[in-house]
Amino acid sequence: MMMIDTADLTKTYNGRGGCRGITLQVPEGSIFGLLGPNGAGKSTFVKMLAGLHRPDSGRANMLGLPLGRPEARRKLGYLPELFRFQDWLTPAEVLRFHGRLGGLRPQETRAPAFRRRIRDTLELVGLSEAEDRRVGGFSKGMQQRLGLAAALLLDPELVILDEPASALDPVGRYEIRSLLKRLRSKGVTIFLNTHLLEDVEELCDEAAFLYGGELLASGPLHKLLSSTGDSGSSGANWRFRLGGWLPETWAELNDGAGGALTSLLHLVEADESGNALLSAHVTDREQAGYLCSIFIRSGLTLYESGPEPNSLEAWFLRMAGSRQGGVPQ
Amino acid sequence: MTLYISATFKELTRKRVFLVTIILTFVFLILFAFGVRELAGMGGQNMVSPAERLLNSMVLMVLGLFFAQFLASFFVLFSAMGTVTGEQENGLLLAVAARPIPRWKLYLAKWLGHAVWVAVYSTVLFVSVVWTIHSQTGFPVRAEELLRGYGLFLWMPLLLLTVTMLGSVYLPMLGNGICAALLYGFALFSGLIEGVSVYEGTHPVIEKFVFLTGLLLPTDSVYRRSLYELLGGADWAGLAMADMGPFSMPSVSSNAFLLYTVGYAAVLLLLGCRAFSRKDL
Repeated sequence: MMMIDTADLTKTYNGRGGCRGITLQVPEGSIFGLLGPNGAGKSTFVKMLAGLHRPDSGRANMLGLPLGRPEARRKLGYLPELFRFQDWLTPAEVLRFHGRLGGLRPQETRAPAFRRRIRDTLELVGLSEAEDRRVGGFSKGMQQRLGLAAALLLDPELVILDEPASALDPVGRYEIRSLLKRLRSKGVTIFLNTHLLEDVEELCDEAAFLYGGELLASGPLHKLLSSTGDSGSSGANWRFRLGGWLPETWAELNDGAGGALTSLLHLVEADESGNALLSAHVTDREQAGYLCSIFIRSGLTLYESGPEPNSLEAWFLRMAGSRQGGVPQ
Repeated sequence: MTLYISATFKELTRKRVFLVTIILTFVFLILFAFGVRELAGMGGQNMVSPAERLLNSMVLMVLGLFFAQFLASFFVLFSAMGTVTGEQENGLLLAVAARPIPRWKLYLAKWLGHAVWVAVYSTVLFVSVVWTIHSQTGFPVRAEELLRGYGLFLWMPLLLLTVTMLGSVYLPMLGNGICAALLYGFALFSGLIEGVSVYEGTHPVIEKFVFLTGLLLPTDSVYRRSLYELLGGADWAGLAMADMGPFSMPSVSSNAFLLYTVGYAAVLLLLGCRAFSRKDL
């Protein structure tokens, strides 16, 4: 079953901003990452899923039910991006409050089983020692952990996390990553809106890329990484490490190839001792081999040649760059 | 619904600003009781007639309840002005509104949560003022009049609460606070103007002004009717209130007008529920 299934979902603010025509599916039991630069419309999309924004048009189902239905929201855990809890409450009281909002009766939230559940959830997010402290004295990271505890309190089937690790230190981020992996192993579906690409790279099975309110790419992460930002071309980025490089070599290479190389090759770096690193976007291995032969014929020493490792950061920059009218180098 | 009553109670008892409110209210009541005792003692020394003593006690009652309704109104304004946009701006609403509870229920629960504690606060003020004057000046208190006066005294801040909460769906917290305070001040001012105009007969323009202000925010009309009932209705109230300057009461709102205020509050509550349900948070 698709835990989230949207078709042409649109929300704009007086015709501007927001997101338009978003169609994506999030499979059950997966971790799905939503990526995009600031102002891409990610938060608008997440808020529509959480029922905080009303879509202008389009269709969306969550847990098999139309968006906004209480039955679906009962199985949803949501961590907002910029949120706060009541300063005057303790974490246990915040969770009891959210238990009641989640549909539990007063006697259920007072029962020993639920108290145990609160303690377990606080322990899960590393807040057990702060159980009786007022939230007003919490750091941003502790508030973030409490937000996560509130999202996970009622055993949700789908968890939507809006920048869950933004206020956490490296240890906290590592703990949250481990927690999300454990949740996935229990079959919980996680929808992750984050700027932390290493989190997406490590955790996500699938991802989507939003830019300017439009969905540019969506699918399994490995497939996205093997694609380029330019939807009209395919291939890979190739690196060449060369020796014997002189300041005039670039012009000589170009002259030798009739000026065709400048559109293909890019000089990444060169030093005074003659070492240079070049990159090129090639359509296949043969094209890379042809470039190698040009280098060797020109008297250069070819130390190393091979495809660039496909990092999510490079993919992200290519995707964003392709929409800005140029590929960032 | 009970969830928000207990949540609001925790907020009131744990936030310092409310503790300060309670302390200042207590100080006001102590000073008021002290002042009333001194004034009652002066009356006793001067050997005034029973009728004069009754009139004096009525004047004290009018002044005491005027300040009490003022305090109750400010309690409403400061506690409810940021109910929706304030909580939206600081992020409190985000995690709450995503829960499986219809927005209209959330709005009503918040209204109820505030209403219960506004009623408790107003009751403390009303009972303290009336009891002080009754015990110090011998002001006659009849159960039926007391209940009518009390009920209307409670209704006034609840009306203001309803208006303030509706404003909080549309306006930012500070803007709403200013707007609600201005509306309340406007209603209060129109009542005082009407009181002053009693000496030379109410001008038709002032009459219309008071009427229209009363329609927009009927708090002052309800408060004056509450006083009228508490002071003995047609039997005594006219006697005391015909010559009290700005506190004079040339006219009181009718039962039909009171019914209008109930309908008005119900419509505002429904509008608030509807607007909150459609609001992007």
